[in-house]
Amino acid sequence: MTGFFRRGDLHSLAAPYALDALEPPEHKRFEKHLKRCDSCPAEVRALREDAVRLAWSTAAPAPAALRDRVLTAVRTTPQEPAPVRPEPLPRARPERSPSRGRRSPFAPFLIPLASTTAAAALVVAALFGVQASRAQDELAQERAQAREIAHVLAAPDARSTAGRDAEGQGIAVVASASRRAAVVTGSGLGTPAGERVHQLWLMRPEGKPRSLGLLAGDTPLVATGLGTNAISLAVTIEPAGGSPQPTTAPVVQLALKSVGFGE
Amino acid sequence: MEADELLVLVAAGDQKAFEDLYGLVSGPVFGLVRRVVRDPAQSEEVAQEVLLELWRSAARYDPGRGTALAWVLTLAHRRAVDRVRSARAAGERELRMARRANGPAFDQVAEEVEAGLEREWVRRCLDRLTALQRQSVTLAYYDGYTYREVAERLSLPLGTVKTRMRDGLTRLRDCLGGVA
Repeated sequence: MTGFFRRGDLHSLAAPYALDALEPPEHKRFEKHLKRCDSCPAEVRALREDAVRLAWSTAAPAPAALRDRVLTAVRTTPQEPAPVRPEPLPRARPERSPSRGRRSPFAPFLIPLASTTAAAALVVAALFGVQASRAQDELAQERAQAREIAHVLAAPDARSTAGRDAEGQGIAVVASASRRAAVVTGSGLGTPAGERVHQLWLMRPEGKPRSLGLLAGDTPLVATGLGTNAISLAVTIEPAGGSPQPTTAPVVQLALKSVGFGE
Repeated sequence: MEADELLVLVAAGDQKAFEDLYGLVSGPVFGLVRRVVRDPAQSEEVAQEVLLELWRSAARYDPGRGTALAWVLTLAHRRAVDRVRSARAAGERELRMARRANGPAFDQVAEEVEAGLEREWVRRCLDRLTALQRQSVTLAYYDGYTYREVAERLSLPLGTVKTRMRDGLTRLRDCLGGVA
Protein backbone atom coordinates (compact mmCIF):
# COMPACT_ATOMS: atom_id res chain seq x y z
CA MET A 1 0.00 0.00 0.00
CA THR A 2 2.76 2.38 0.87
CA GLY A 3 5.13 1.72 -2.01
CA PHE A 4 8.46 3.37 -2.19
CA PHE A 5 8.78 6.86 -0.83
CA ARG A 6 11.48 9.18 -1.82
CA ARG A 7 12.68 11.50 0.84
CA GLY A 8 10.71 14.45 -0.49
CA ASP A 9 7.55 12.38 -0.53
CA LEU A 10 8.11 11.27 3.00
CA HIS A 11 8.63 14.82 4.05
CA SER A 12 5.29 15.83 2.67
CA LEU A 13 3.66 13.44 5.11
CA ALA A 14 4.32 15.78 8.02
CA ALA A 15 0.85 17.31 7.90
CA PRO A 16 -1.08 14.02 7.63
CA TYR A 17 1.17 12.68 10.40
CA ALA A 18 0.32 15.62 12.64
CA LEU A 19 -3.36 14.94 11.99
CA ASP A 20 -2.94 11.21 12.74
CA ALA A 21 -4.02 10.55 9.18
CA LEU A 22 -1.36 8.04 8.13
CA GLU A 23 -1.91 4.33 7.84
CA PRO A 24 0.28 2.22 10.11
CA PRO A 25 3.02 1.35 7.56
CA GLU A 26 3.38 4.97 6.48
CA HIS A 27 3.26 6.07 10.06
CA LYS A 28 6.23 3.85 10.80
CA ARG A 29 8.15 5.01 7.78
CA PHE A 30 7.56 8.60 8.65
CA GLU A 31 8.71 8.14 12.23
CA LYS A 32 11.87 6.53 10.88
CA HIS A 33 12.33 9.49 8.60
CA LEU A 34 11.82 11.84 11.56
CA LYS A 35 14.89 10.42 13.22
CA ARG A 36 17.10 11.29 10.27
CA CYS A 37 15.57 14.62 9.39
CA ASP A 38 16.80 17.64 11.29
CA SER A 39 14.11 20.08 10.31
CA CYS A 40 11.20 17.66 10.71
CA PRO A 41 10.68 17.43 14.46
CA ALA A 42 10.24 21.17 14.85
CA GLU A 43 7.90 21.25 11.89
CA VAL A 44 5.86 18.30 13.07
CA ARG A 45 5.64 19.79 16.48
CA ALA A 46 4.35 23.08 15.10
CA LEU A 47 1.77 21.28 12.97
CA ARG A 48 0.73 19.15 15.93
CA GLU A 49 0.16 22.20 18.01
CA ASP A 50 -2.04 23.61 15.28
CA ALA A 51 -4.00 20.38 15.39
CA VAL A 52 -4.29 20.69 19.16
CA ARG A 53 -6.02 24.00 18.70
CA LEU A 54 -8.69 22.10 16.82
CA ALA A 55 -8.91 19.70 19.73
CA TRP A 56 -9.13 22.34 22.34
CA SER A 57 -12.10 23.93 20.73
CA THR A 58 -14.12 20.74 21.22
CA ALA A 59 -13.77 20.64 25.01
CA ALA A 60 -16.91 19.47 26.79
CA PRO A 61 -17.51 18.60 30.42
CA ALA A 62 -16.83 14.95 31.11
CA PRO A 63 -19.58 12.94 32.85
CA ALA A 64 -19.25 12.88 36.63
CA ALA A 65 -19.34 9.08 36.64
CA LEU A 66 -16.22 9.04 34.50
CA ARG A 67 -14.34 10.99 37.13
CA ASP A 68 -15.34 8.53 39.83
CA ARG A 69 -14.33 5.56 37.74
CA VAL A 70 -10.98 7.00 36.73
CA LEU A 71 -10.04 8.21 40.19
CA THR A 72 -11.03 4.88 41.68
CA ALA A 73 -9.04 2.96 39.09
CA VAL A 74 -6.00 5.12 39.70
CA ARG A 75 -5.80 3.94 43.29
CA THR A 76 -5.10 0.42 42.18
CA THR A 77 -3.40 0.93 38.82
CA PRO A 78 0.37 0.58 38.79
CA GLN A 79 2.44 3.11 36.90
CA GLU A 80 5.06 2.52 34.28
CA PRO A 81 8.58 3.50 35.13
CA ALA A 82 10.20 6.22 33.06
CA PRO A 83 10.87 4.83 29.58
CA VAL A 84 14.24 3.40 28.78
CA ARG A 85 13.84 4.23 25.14
CA PRO A 86 11.48 6.73 23.63
CA GLU A 87 8.08 5.48 22.57
CA PRO A 88 6.86 6.58 19.18
CA LEU A 89 3.64 7.86 20.69
CA PRO A 90 3.27 10.60 21.54
CA ARG A 91 6.92 11.53 21.60
CA ALA A 92 8.68 10.44 18.49
CA ARG A 93 12.23 10.90 19.68
CA PRO A 94 14.31 13.15 21.84
CA GLU A 95 14.40 16.54 20.29
CA ARG A 96 17.62 17.74 18.81
CA SER A 97 16.52 20.76 16.89
CA PRO A 98 15.51 23.97 18.61
CA SER A 99 12.19 23.57 20.32
CA ARG A 100 9.31 25.95 20.33
CA GLY A 101 8.84 25.47 24.04
CA ARG A 102 9.26 28.14 26.63
CA ARG A 103 11.20 25.88 28.95
CA SER A 104 14.32 25.49 26.92
CA PRO A 105 16.88 28.21 27.41
CA PHE A 106 17.73 27.77 23.74
CA ALA A 107 14.24 28.29 22.44
CA PRO A 108 14.28 30.60 19.44
CA PHE A 109 11.56 32.73 20.94
CA LEU A 110 13.69 33.73 23.88
CA ILE A 111 14.62 36.94 22.21
CA PRO A 112 16.18 39.56 24.43
CA LEU A 113 13.95 42.56 24.70
CA ALA A 114 16.59 44.78 23.13
CA SER A 115 16.09 42.95 19.86
CA THR A 116 12.34 42.73 19.92
CA THR A 117 10.82 45.01 17.45
CA ALA A 118 7.62 46.74 16.63
CA ALA A 119 5.45 45.57 19.47
CA ALA A 120 7.78 46.71 22.22
CA ALA A 121 8.41 49.99 20.47
CA LEU A 122 4.72 50.50 20.10
CA VAL A 123 4.04 49.90 23.76
CA VAL A 124 6.85 52.16 24.86
CA ALA A 125 5.85 54.90 22.47
CA ALA A 126 2.26 54.72 23.59
CA LEU A 127 3.33 54.82 27.19
CA PHE A 128 5.38 57.97 26.85
CA GLY A 129 2.80 59.58 24.66
CA VAL A 130 0.33 59.04 27.43
CA GLN A 131 2.68 60.32 30.08
CA ALA A 132 3.35 63.54 28.24
CA SER A 133 -0.25 64.42 27.75
CA ARG A 134 -1.56 63.95 31.25
CA ALA A 135 -2.20 66.58 33.86
CA GLN A 136 -0.02 66.66 36.94
CA ASP A 137 -2.46 65.07 39.38
CA GLU A 138 -3.04 62.13 37.13
CA LEU A 139 0.64 61.50 36.98
CA ALA A 140 0.88 59.70 40.29
CA GLN A 141 -1.50 57.08 39.03
CA GLU A 142 0.22 56.96 35.69
CA ARG A 143 3.54 56.55 37.42
CA ALA A 144 2.27 53.58 39.35
CA GLN A 145 1.22 52.03 36.07
CA ALA A 146 4.51 53.04 34.50
CA ARG A 147 6.33 51.20 37.26
CA GLU A 148 4.29 48.11 36.56
CA ILE A 149 5.02 48.45 32.88
CA ALA A 150 8.71 48.97 33.51
CA HIS A 151 8.66 45.92 35.72
CA VAL A 152 7.37 43.82 32.84
CA LEU A 153 9.68 45.37 30.26
CA ALA A 154 12.71 44.86 32.47
CA ALA A 155 12.05 41.18 33.06
CA PRO A 156 14.83 39.02 31.64
CA ASP A 157 12.26 36.92 29.81
CA ALA A 158 10.20 39.81 28.45
CA ARG A 159 9.15 39.09 24.92
CA SER A 160 6.84 40.74 22.50
CA THR A 161 4.28 39.71 19.96
CA ALA A 162 1.63 41.44 17.96
CA GLY A 163 -1.27 40.44 15.80
CA ARG A 164 -3.34 42.35 13.35
CA ASP A 165 -6.18 41.26 11.13
CA ALA A 166 -6.82 42.21 7.53
CA GLU A 167 -8.65 45.34 8.64
CA GLY A 168 -5.66 46.51 10.63
CA GLN A 169 -7.23 45.83 14.02
CA GLY A 170 -4.82 44.30 16.44
CA ILE A 171 -3.06 44.23 19.76
CA ALA A 172 0.58 44.38 20.70
CA VAL A 173 1.87 42.60 23.75
CA VAL A 174 5.04 42.62 25.79
CA ALA A 175 4.85 39.82 28.31
CA SER A 176 6.95 38.16 30.95
CA ALA A 177 6.04 34.66 32.02
CA SER A 178 8.23 34.96 35.13
CA ARG A 179 6.43 38.14 36.23
CA ARG A 180 3.11 36.65 35.14
CA ALA A 181 2.30 39.95 33.53
CA ALA A 182 1.78 41.53 30.14
CA VAL A 183 1.51 45.02 28.77
CA VAL A 184 -1.16 45.18 26.10
CA THR A 185 -1.82 47.96 23.63
CA GLY A 186 -4.61 48.10 21.11
CA SER A 187 -3.86 49.34 17.62
CA GLY A 188 -6.29 50.30 14.93
CA LEU A 189 -9.22 49.21 17.05
CA GLY A 190 -10.95 52.55 16.73
CA THR A 191 -13.87 53.38 18.99
CA PRO A 192 -16.89 51.09 18.94
CA ALA A 193 -20.16 52.69 17.92
CA GLY A 194 -22.61 53.80 20.58
CA GLU A 195 -21.76 53.49 24.23
CA ARG A 196 -19.76 50.37 23.70
CA VAL A 197 -16.18 49.62 24.69
CA HIS A 198 -13.33 47.27 23.85
CA GLN A 199 -12.76 44.75 26.60
CA LEU A 200 -9.68 42.59 26.90
CA TRP A 201 -9.98 38.95 27.99
CA LEU A 202 -7.60 36.27 29.06
CA MET A 203 -8.39 32.88 27.54
CA ARG A 204 -7.45 29.76 29.46
CA PRO A 205 -7.84 26.09 28.58
CA GLU A 206 -10.19 25.49 31.47
CA GLY A 207 -12.51 28.00 32.98
CA LYS A 208 -14.14 31.11 31.73
CA PRO A 209 -12.43 34.03 30.07
CA ARG A 210 -11.13 36.48 32.63
CA SER A 211 -11.58 40.19 32.08
CA LEU A 212 -8.31 42.09 32.03
CA GLY A 213 -9.97 45.48 31.73
CA LEU A 214 -11.05 47.90 29.06
CA LEU A 215 -8.82 48.95 26.22
CA ALA A 216 -9.13 52.62 25.38
CA GLY A 217 -7.33 54.07 22.39
CA ASP A 218 -3.66 53.23 22.49
CA THR A 219 -3.31 53.46 26.26
CA PRO A 220 -1.36 50.44 27.48
CA LEU A 221 -3.11 48.09 29.83
CA VAL A 222 -1.15 46.07 32.36
CA ALA A 223 -2.48 42.56 32.85
CA THR A 224 -1.18 40.83 35.95
CA GLY A 225 -1.58 37.45 37.58
CA LEU A 226 -1.31 35.57 34.30
CA GLY A 227 -0.82 31.85 34.77
CA THR A 228 1.40 29.97 32.38
CA ASN A 229 -1.83 28.40 31.14
CA ALA A 230 -2.79 31.71 29.56
CA ILE A 231 -3.54 30.62 26.01
CA SER A 232 -4.46 33.82 24.31
CA LEU A 233 -5.82 37.31 24.64
CA ALA A 234 -9.06 38.33 23.01
CA VAL A 235 -10.78 41.66 22.51
CA THR A 236 -14.55 41.88 22.32
CA ILE A 237 -16.96 44.78 22.04
CA GLU A 238 -19.07 45.11 25.15
CA PRO A 239 -21.62 47.54 26.58
CA ALA A 240 -20.28 50.61 28.43
CA GLY A 241 -18.43 49.61 31.57
CA GLY A 242 -17.66 46.14 30.25
CA SER A 243 -19.27 42.75 30.90
CA PRO A 244 -18.53 40.03 33.45
CA GLN A 245 -18.24 37.55 30.56
CA PRO A 246 -17.84 38.21 26.85
CA THR A 247 -21.12 38.72 25.05
CA THR A 248 -19.78 38.98 21.51
CA ALA A 249 -17.30 37.13 19.33
CA PRO A 250 -13.78 38.49 19.52
CA VAL A 251 -12.68 41.14 17.09
CA VAL A 252 -9.06 40.30 17.77
CA GLN A 253 -7.35 37.31 19.31
CA LEU A 254 -3.66 36.81 19.92
CA ALA A 255 -1.92 33.64 21.09
CA LEU A 256 0.55 34.00 23.93
CA LYS A 257 2.65 30.98 23.12
CA SER A 258 5.46 32.94 21.52
CA VAL A 259 5.81 35.09 24.62
CA GLY A 260 6.19 32.19 26.99
CA PHE A 261 2.64 31.27 27.91
CA GLY A 262 0.19 28.81 26.52
CA GLU A 263 0.21 25.79 28.70
CA MET B 1 -0.49 24.41 39.27
CA GLU B 2 -0.11 23.89 35.56
CA ALA B 3 -0.59 20.65 33.68
CA ASP B 4 3.10 20.09 33.02
CA GLU B 5 4.05 20.52 36.67
CA LEU B 6 1.21 18.23 37.66
CA LEU B 7 2.35 15.56 35.22
CA VAL B 8 5.74 15.46 36.91
CA LEU B 9 4.06 14.86 40.27
CA VAL B 10 1.72 12.31 38.75
CA ALA B 11 4.71 10.45 37.33
CA ALA B 12 5.95 10.17 40.90
CA GLY B 13 2.68 8.58 41.97
CA ASP B 14 0.94 11.62 43.45
CA GLN B 15 -2.79 10.85 43.34
CA LYS B 16 -3.82 14.29 44.51
CA ALA B 17 -1.89 15.80 41.61
CA PHE B 18 -3.70 13.42 39.31
CA GLU B 19 -7.04 14.69 40.57
CA ASP B 20 -5.95 18.23 39.76
CA LEU B 21 -4.69 17.13 36.39
CA TYR B 22 -7.99 15.40 35.77
CA GLY B 23 -9.75 18.69 36.47
CA LEU B 24 -7.60 20.44 33.89
CA VAL B 25 -7.66 17.93 31.05
CA SER B 26 -10.79 15.81 31.35
CA GLY B 27 -12.96 18.35 29.52
CA PRO B 28 -10.64 18.74 26.54
CA VAL B 29 -9.97 14.98 26.41
CA PHE B 30 -13.61 13.98 26.64
CA GLY B 31 -14.73 16.64 24.17
CA LEU B 32 -12.13 15.62 21.61
CA VAL B 33 -12.78 11.90 21.95
CA ARG B 34 -16.52 12.40 21.61
CA ARG B 35 -15.98 14.62 18.60
CA VAL B 36 -14.07 11.85 16.83
CA VAL B 37 -15.79 8.73 18.17
CA ARG B 38 -19.36 10.12 18.27
CA ASP B 39 -20.94 7.22 20.06
CA PRO B 40 -21.47 8.39 23.67
CA ALA B 41 -20.79 5.07 25.38
CA GLN B 42 -17.68 4.37 23.32
CA SER B 43 -16.48 7.92 23.82
CA GLU B 44 -16.66 7.51 27.55
CA GLU B 45 -14.78 4.26 27.29
CA VAL B 46 -12.00 5.73 25.18
CA ALA B 47 -11.77 8.86 27.35
CA GLN B 48 -11.43 6.63 30.38
CA GLU B 49 -8.63 4.66 28.74
CA VAL B 50 -6.83 7.86 27.84
CA LEU B 51 -7.15 9.37 31.30
CA LEU B 52 -5.92 6.19 32.91
CA GLU B 53 -3.08 6.06 30.45
CA LEU B 54 -2.06 9.51 31.65
CA TRP B 55 -1.74 8.09 35.11
CA ARG B 56 0.17 5.04 33.96
CA SER B 57 2.52 6.68 31.54
CA ALA B 58 2.97 10.17 32.95
CA ALA B 59 6.70 9.46 33.15
CA ARG B 60 6.83 9.49 29.38
CA TYR B 61 5.89 13.14 29.16
CA ASP B 62 8.91 15.17 28.18
CA PRO B 63 8.44 18.92 28.73
CA GLY B 64 11.23 19.60 26.25
CA ARG B 65 9.09 18.25 23.46
CA GLY B 66 5.97 20.27 23.87
CA THR B 67 3.29 21.43 26.20
CA ALA B 68 1.55 19.01 28.51
CA LEU B 69 -1.81 19.78 26.98
CA ALA B 70 -0.49 19.02 23.51
CA TRP B 71 0.90 15.73 24.77
CA VAL B 72 -2.36 14.78 26.43
CA LEU B 73 -4.52 15.75 23.47
CA THR B 74 -2.22 14.07 20.98
CA LEU B 75 -2.58 10.88 22.97
CA ALA B 76 -6.36 11.28 23.20
CA HIS B 77 -6.65 11.94 19.49
CA ARG B 78 -4.55 8.93 18.59
CA ARG B 79 -6.69 6.67 20.75
CA ALA B 80 -9.94 8.10 19.44
CA VAL B 81 -8.80 7.67 15.84
CA ASP B 82 -7.69 4.10 16.54
CA ARG B 83 -11.14 3.38 17.87
CA VAL B 84 -13.10 4.75 14.91
CA ARG B 85 -10.78 3.08 12.46
CA SER B 86 -11.08 -0.33 13.99
CA ALA B 87 -14.82 0.14 14.26
CA ARG B 88 -14.95 1.04 10.59
CA ALA B 89 -12.68 -1.81 9.60
CA ALA B 90 -14.77 -4.29 11.52
CA GLY B 91 -17.86 -2.89 9.88
CA GLU B 92 -19.14 -2.91 13.41
CA ARG B 93 -21.15 0.16 12.80
CA GLU B 94 -21.45 2.27 9.77
CA LEU B 95 -20.46 5.77 10.64
CA ARG B 96 -22.45 8.25 8.80
CA MET B 97 -20.31 8.36 5.70
CA ALA B 98 -22.27 10.99 3.98
CA ARG B 99 -21.32 13.66 6.41
CA ARG B 100 -21.77 16.90 4.67
CA ALA B 101 -18.72 17.26 2.54
CA ASN B 102 -19.12 20.99 2.33
CA GLY B 103 -19.59 22.33 5.78
CA PRO B 104 -17.13 22.31 8.60
CA ALA B 105 -17.86 19.23 10.60
CA PHE B 106 -18.26 20.64 14.04
CA ASP B 107 -21.94 21.46 14.23
CA GLN B 108 -23.29 18.47 16.05
CA VAL B 109 -21.53 18.92 19.32
CA ALA B 110 -21.42 22.64 19.17
CA GLU B 111 -24.27 23.45 21.50
CA GLU B 112 -22.96 21.30 24.27
CA VAL B 113 -19.43 22.45 24.08
CA GLU B 114 -18.11 24.91 26.57
CA ALA B 115 -14.94 26.15 25.00
CA GLY B 116 -16.74 29.41 24.31
CA LEU B 117 -14.69 32.05 22.62
CA GLU B 118 -11.94 29.70 21.62
CA ARG B 119 -14.41 27.52 19.77
CA GLU B 120 -15.93 30.52 18.11
CA TRP B 121 -12.50 31.63 17.06
CA VAL B 122 -11.50 28.25 15.67
CA ARG B 123 -14.79 28.13 13.78
CA ARG B 124 -14.11 31.50 12.28
CA CYS B 125 -10.63 30.54 11.29
CA LEU B 126 -11.84 27.29 9.74
CA ASP B 127 -14.28 29.36 7.75
CA ARG B 128 -11.40 31.32 6.32
CA LEU B 129 -9.77 28.25 4.82
CA THR B 130 -10.65 27.20 1.31
CA ALA B 131 -13.29 24.48 1.20
CA LEU B 132 -10.72 21.84 0.25
CA GLN B 133 -8.30 22.86 2.98
CA ARG B 134 -11.07 22.77 5.54
CA GLN B 135 -12.44 19.44 4.42
CA SER B 136 -9.00 17.87 4.26
CA VAL B 137 -8.20 18.98 7.79
CA THR B 138 -11.55 18.25 9.40
CA LEU B 139 -12.19 14.90 7.71
CA ALA B 140 -8.83 13.75 9.02
CA TYR B 141 -8.81 15.34 12.43
CA TYR B 142 -12.43 15.35 13.50
CA ASP B 143 -13.60 12.29 11.59
CA GLY B 144 -10.50 10.15 11.81
CA TYR B 145 -10.07 9.42 8.10
CA THR B 146 -6.61 8.68 6.76
CA TYR B 147 -5.38 11.02 4.08
CA ARG B 148 -5.94 8.28 1.51
CA GLU B 149 -9.55 8.03 2.55
CA VAL B 150 -9.83 11.80 2.50
CA ALA B 151 -8.44 11.78 -1.04
CA GLU B 152 -11.00 9.20 -2.10
CA ARG B 153 -13.86 11.02 -0.48
CA LEU B 154 -12.92 14.30 -2.06
CA SER B 155 -11.83 12.71 -5.37
CA LEU B 156 -8.46 14.40 -5.17
CA PRO B 157 -4.96 13.11 -5.87
CA LEU B 158 -3.02 12.11 -2.75
CA GLY B 159 -0.46 14.85 -3.26
CA THR B 160 -3.15 17.49 -3.35
CA VAL B 161 -4.64 16.30 -0.09
CA LYS B 162 -1.27 16.39 1.65
CA THR B 163 -0.74 19.91 0.45
CA ARG B 164 -4.24 21.01 1.46
CA MET B 165 -3.70 19.59 4.90
CA ARG B 166 -0.46 21.42 5.34
CA ASP B 167 -1.77 24.69 3.92
CA GLY B 168 -4.92 24.37 5.99
CA LEU B 169 -3.04 23.89 9.24
CA THR B 170 -0.62 26.69 8.45
CA ARG B 171 -3.39 29.06 7.60
CA LEU B 172 -5.24 28.09 10.71
CA ARG B 173 -2.14 28.90 12.70
CA ASP B 174 -1.86 32.33 11.14
CA CYS B 175 -5.51 33.04 11.75
CA LEU B 176 -5.44 31.83 15.33
CA GLY B 177 -2.45 34.04 15.96
CA GLY B 178 -0.08 31.26 16.89
CA VAL B 179 2.92 33.33 15.93
CA ALA B 180 5.53 31.01 14.57
